[in-house]
Amino acid sequence: MMSVSIALFAAFGAPASATAAIALDVSSSKTLSGTAGDFVTVNGTIANTGPTALSDVTAYLSLVDTTAHMPVDLEDWSVEKGLYIGTIGAGAKLPLDWKIHFVKSGDYALSILAIVKGENKPIGSALTYFHVAQKKNLNPGAVLPVALGEPILIVMFFLLLKYRRDKKSA
Amino acid sequence: MNKLIWKKDITAEIYTWKSALWLLLTAIIYSVTCYLLLTNKELSLLDQTEMLWLLAKIIIGASLLVAIIDASSILTVEFEQETMEDLLISPLSVKDLIIGKFLTVMTVWALMYAVAVPYVLVSSAGSGLGPAFLAYIALYGTLMVGGFTLFVLGLSFLYRSFKNTLTTSLVFYLAVGIPALFSATLKANPFGSIISVANPLDAVFSSLDNILVDYHTALTANATYLASVAGFVVVAVVFLAVSVKVFDRHGIVKE
Amino acid sequence: MTENIIIDIKDASKSYGDRAAVRGLSLSVAKGEFFGFLGPNGAGKTTTIRMLTGILSPDAGSITVAGKLVSDKLHRAGKIGVLSESKGLYEWMTGKEFLSFFAGLYGIAEADEAAEKLLAEVGLKDRADSLVGSYSRGMKQRLKLARALVNEPDILFLDEPTLGLDPQGQDSIQKLLKRLNEKGVTVFYSSHLLHEVSRLCTRMAVIDKGVLVAEGTLDDLRRRTHKDDLRDIFLSLTGPDAEPE
Repeated sequence: MMSVSIALFAAFGAPASATAAIALDVSSSKTLSGTAGDFVTVNGTIANTGPTALSDVTAYLSLVDTTAHMPVDLEDWSVEKGLYIGTIGAGAKLPLDWKIHFVKSGDYALSILAIVKGENKPIGSALTYFHVAQKKNLNPGAVLPVALGEPILIVMFFLLLKYRRDKKSA
Repeated sequence: MNKLIWKKDITAEIYTWKSALWLLLTAIIYSVTCYLLLTNKELSLLDQTEMLWLLAKIIIGASLLVAIIDASSILTVEFEQETMEDLLISPLSVKDLIIGKFLTVMTVWALMYAVAVPYVLVSSAGSGLGPAFLAYIALYGTLMVGGFTLFVLGLSFLYRSFKNTLTTSLVFYLAVGIPALFSATLKANPFGSIISVANPLDAVFSSLDNILVDYHTALTANATYLASVAGFVVVAVVFLAVSVKVFDRHGIVKE
Repeated sequence: MTENIIIDIKDASKSYGDRAAVRGLSLSVAKGEFFGFLGPNGAGKTTTIRMLTGILSPDAGSITVAGKLVSDKLHRAGKIGVLSESKGLYEWMTGKEFLSFFAGLYGIAEADEAAEKLLAEVGLKDRADSLVGSYSRGMKQRLKLARALVNEPDILFLDEPTLGLDPQGQDSIQKLLKRLNEKGVTVFYSSHLLHEVSRLCTRMAVIDKGVLVAEGTLDDLRRRTHKDDLRDIFLSLTGPDAEPE
């Protein structure tokens, strides 16, 4: 599955030869890695390298978990998976950005795909690989003293009452 | 005189380990829940207000369950252990007996609330909702626990059996609890609206949503929900009064 | 004698559904009497005591205790002490806590002191701080008697007070009751133990199947049945071979 996905991405990553003249690029590839829980912005560009304007253009984000070899459901990761661009004039270059929430740690590959109305094949950017580190916090929200402390205090309190009662009845 | 009953029963709850186990188990539930919720919050998987709403429902739900179990035994034990006769021969009136038993269950609720407070404070840190959260949990918890306790005491006078009282009470709890878990979409039709108005637990959860998620903390903004819960308490009082009349007619020996 | 009547039952009846537990019972007890109430198991003794103490209301007839109808609960509660047939004790309490609690219910100010005094009177002083659950059967019965005395009653209703006790236990309770009766306490003593009732009681009534079958002193019953032995007297008055009057 992984090799097919990557192969597909790799094929689409090459500049379109027979279809719409679109170039896609992920510009934040160097700063993309982070830690689970982080919100990061994926920046990209879409350029019309052809002589005529292109209409009804939509760009999508696509994500694959390279460890699990599975595509990732972007519902928890990003609010807008698809961005409707509309018309790109000939020679025009437009910025793209998606706010992504790193939900789970692991290794991932990301790509931007563009679909133009009337074309039967999407065009993709080169793959961007990134790593999401695990969030290691044993004491989220400083809850540990309460989470451990309260049950212990309750046990101690009732043991003390029992001791006093047993002493009284002895 | 009801103070003597209250003091006796609270002492029994402490020295027979009943309240100890309940408080410990609920503290463990809150610990696990808060740890899980705050871990998810740190990962920004859960919005803090949603987290507080979930915690509020767990606190109310767990406290109600404990109150039902406690109230089911607190009066029926006098029948089953055959101590009721000595109590009724004494100057103690049935009214004082009921008040004493009621206060005991409410004291257990107060202890459970006290156990929940640190968890609430930790979970609501930074949200500004801590005081509202604590105040509304106190208000709704007291009304719901009070209402359920009165209802269960009424059942106790009718059944005089812990097993039967507890079974009926739990079925009633399920009957109000399950619809309260339905999503707003499922209750969007006229029949769903009737359930929402009539079901006190649904009113509590909806009100807490209104307060913790939508930030409508004023009492006036939650008046209809409060009215629903107050109505339930009134119905519970009437049920108890009728049950006591039935008990008086039969006397200590049930035919 | 009329002005001395402290317990007056007039034609009292009580049924549980279709079963008549007590039928048309009439008897009276004078102030200061040690009155025995005899009958076999299921005769209606406990039901009669429950009606006398106001726990049950009679379906018909009237019952007055200390000059008041038994429905007047609060007034009567100050006058009577009851050792009922029920097992009821709070086993998690100490003996002292148990009596203190009931002393508090009766509005006794120095409840702890009253409890200690009562425990000494029934021979449980050394076990005052032990849990009731650790008491023997005899100790529990003595504790129940102490509970019946907590409000210094004028009338004591006792339902099988020596049941399950060994001879020493029975003797100590009987001596205590005699002492109380000598001080003026009226004792209504319900039992199926003939030798006890005949030894302690000045007058007695016999009930069988909810109906009063005989009333009077032991000599009256001997004359009525032409029997001398207690057991024979009892058997001739109660059960399937009972001789009609």
